[in-house]
Amino acid sequence: MALEPFKSSASLTMGVELELQLVNLSDLDLTAASPDMLHLLRRAKFPGNVTPEVTESMIEINTDVHTSHTEMLAQLQLIRDTLLRAGDTLNVGICGGGTHPFQHWADRKIFAKPRFREVSAIYGYLIKQFTVFGQHIHIGCSSGDEALFLLHALNRYVPHFIALSASSPYFQGVDTLFNSARLNSVFAFPLSGRAPFLLRWEEFEHRYFAKMEHTGIVKSMKDFYWDIRPKPEYGTIELRVCDTPLTVERAAALSAYLQALCRYLLERNEPEPAEDDYLVYNYNRFQACRFGLDGTLVHPKSHETLLLREDILTTLRHLEPHAAALGSQAALEHLYAVIYEGSDASFLRTQYADSGSLEGIVDAALERFRAPAR
Amino acid sequence: MPESLSLTSELVWPLALAIAWVAGEFGHRWTGLPRISIYGLVGFVLANAQAGLLPNSSSMELLANIAFGLILFELGYRINLRWLRTNPWLGVASLSEALLTFAAVLYVAQAFGMQLIPSLLLASLAMASSPAAILRVVNEEHSSGQVTERILHLSAFNCVLAVLTFKLIVGLWVFHTTGDIWHALWNSLIFLMVSVALGGLFGVAVPGLLSRLNNTERDATVVFAIAVIILVALTHTLMFSPVLATLAFGLIARHRRIALSQAEKNFGTLGNLLTVLLFVFMTSTLEWPMVAAGAGLALVLVIVRFAVKTLSVTAFSHVSGITWRKGFLTGMALTPLSAFVILLLEQTRHLDIGLIDELAALAAITLFLEVVGPIVTHWALVLAKEVHNTEKH
Repeated sequence: MALEPFKSSASLTMGVELELQLVNLSDLDLTAASPDMLHLLRRAKFPGNVTPEVTESMIEINTDVHTSHTEMLAQLQLIRDTLLRAGDTLNVGICGGGTHPFQHWADRKIFAKPRFREVSAIYGYLIKQFTVFGQHIHIGCSSGDEALFLLHALNRYVPHFIALSASSPYFQGVDTLFNSARLNSVFAFPLSGRAPFLLRWEEFEHRYFAKMEHTGIVKSMKDFYWDIRPKPEYGTIELRVCDTPLTVERAAALSAYLQALCRYLLERNEPEPAEDDYLVYNYNRFQACRFGLDGTLVHPKSHETLLLREDILTTLRHLEPHAAALGSQAALEHLYAVIYEGSDASFLRTQYADSGSLEGIVDAALERFRAPAR
Repeated sequence: MPESLSLTSELVWPLALAIAWVAGEFGHRWTGLPRISIYGLVGFVLANAQAGLLPNSSSMELLANIAFGLILFELGYRINLRWLRTNPWLGVASLSEALLTFAAVLYVAQAFGMQLIPSLLLASLAMASSPAAILRVVNEEHSSGQVTERILHLSAFNCVLAVLTFKLIVGLWVFHTTGDIWHALWNSLIFLMVSVALGGLFGVAVPGLLSRLNNTERDATVVFAIAVIILVALTHTLMFSPVLATLAFGLIARHRRIALSQAEKNFGTLGNLLTVLLFVFMTSTLEWPMVAAGAGLALVLVIVRFAVKTLSVTAFSHVSGITWRKGFLTGMALTPLSAFVILLLEQTRHLDIGLIDELAALAAITLFLEVVGPIVTHWALVLAKEVHNTEKH
């Protein structure tokens, strides 16, 4: 099956997918509730879309295609309220967060769907350990070439998204000292990491994908777990490094940040992306995962050392005119506040300090998802 | 030769537990039956009345009460009362299955010519689904989903309803026979209130203590277990209801949420050990002649009870957010009835009502459902696809 042609879509449109946790309200562990939740949700019209994920204690939602932050936020809030209502009917808790702090991977149950059974057979325990929760943001691109340009031009900003969304400090019952431990689970997959440095869709299709397909390793784009991957059937690029934030408000803000950033990059005022940019890529990504906003970056072009927090602030200021044009100033305000108040990961660590238990963290995450602080 | 008698009684119980455990493991492996069904069978066969092996023993009764107390505490801890508010249809389903079971069993018992008071008591006991059997099957199968959640909640609710009704009827009976209103109240209302209050007290005090100890994660299991043992011993000695007290303890401890740390499921190894004892003890109190005498009525009652519970839970399934199929399976899974009934009856022994002998049918129902009930629950969970089968992956 050859790679399908890149379907052109309107530039800078956006869509969001969120993987959410289904939690047992008694012991606050994950619970295999997705079949029951899906049954109940399918009875009425769902604002957006809801699908099962690989293990039965996850549920995935996605929004429609939006052009503005306001619409995006409104739909995400509507989706959240619908989910919460269903959860209340079934005594199931729903929350964000990139990992569940103490779930044990061996207890997870694979959702009964052929593809999930298949990947489970291939990857074994990796797939159950992959019970982690991410936010994927799609940005519409008018062509495959534009998609590949954005994909590579964004490489230097990937750590921003990791640090701003980080909400997975605890994993399998311990504080990992990472801010996003979730991404460590993703790196375990052989086809994770960065996309090959090709800027023309034709080249990507023939020089890379066709060859990879010929090796028999991959069948479709779905088999790549890259940080950013093109999605030809939607005509988008998909940023996959974000942890699911604790609130849909933050999810909407992150998506508007990416949208504004893409608008800025498409003006092509920055030096062109180059293969050598990736020399520092894994190091920077590690810094963001491990230290979050307190990490340090090496600039791919100048090789100077930057504080991640400072770099995000500078970028936010840079993007203000673009946000104004897109009507998403509120999203930038939200992210400024994250920089000053700390990420979800530090919120969760505070909860642990206050409650003294991992269960207390989940309890706080449930509450925050329902009623965000701001 | 009283000395050798006590020696055998000390030896026989541990041996019976070993036999039950071995039979449970092999039986489970060969037949796939839930282990507790097999423990029950072993207990019945070895019982004093049958093989003449297991003497009645008050210390065993206390241990069985403790085992049951641990289970009820865990059940209470898993109950979310807020669910009744967010999904009132669950409460409607609960009330209707319990009350309709009461009415149907009462009707059938009367039709079979049973006297009024025993019929009323029988009907109240039939309302309860054995929380011990249900929780045990749920834990053994690692099941999760709506059927699992609902049977846990429904069995906790119908247990409470059963104790309430039972005690009210006992109160009425006492008043009727003695005319002593104080005695009657003591045996019903005050009994209920004090039991719940004791449990509530523990529910506030123990988590409070735990949160003071801070590093709670490791100690919670032991602390809760000791607290349950004390509570059971206390209520047992003072002749209040360990059932209500431990259930209230779990419920309050959960809803106070002072210490969120979780005790090990089933109280770990301690829970496993005491479960064997509980289920062996239960059936060891039954006598074959009584079982045989009550078998006819029992069979009818089992069928009626099954039908009423299943139908009334099914009726409210769609409106409460699950499929008709899952509703049916939830009702079906409520079949077990055992541990609870015996312990409640053992308690009324102190009242010298002498009801036990009149309730031959109950002995038969108990034995039958002790063995068959867990199997039905097991299959309901399997058919609902809520069982976590680790061997498959």
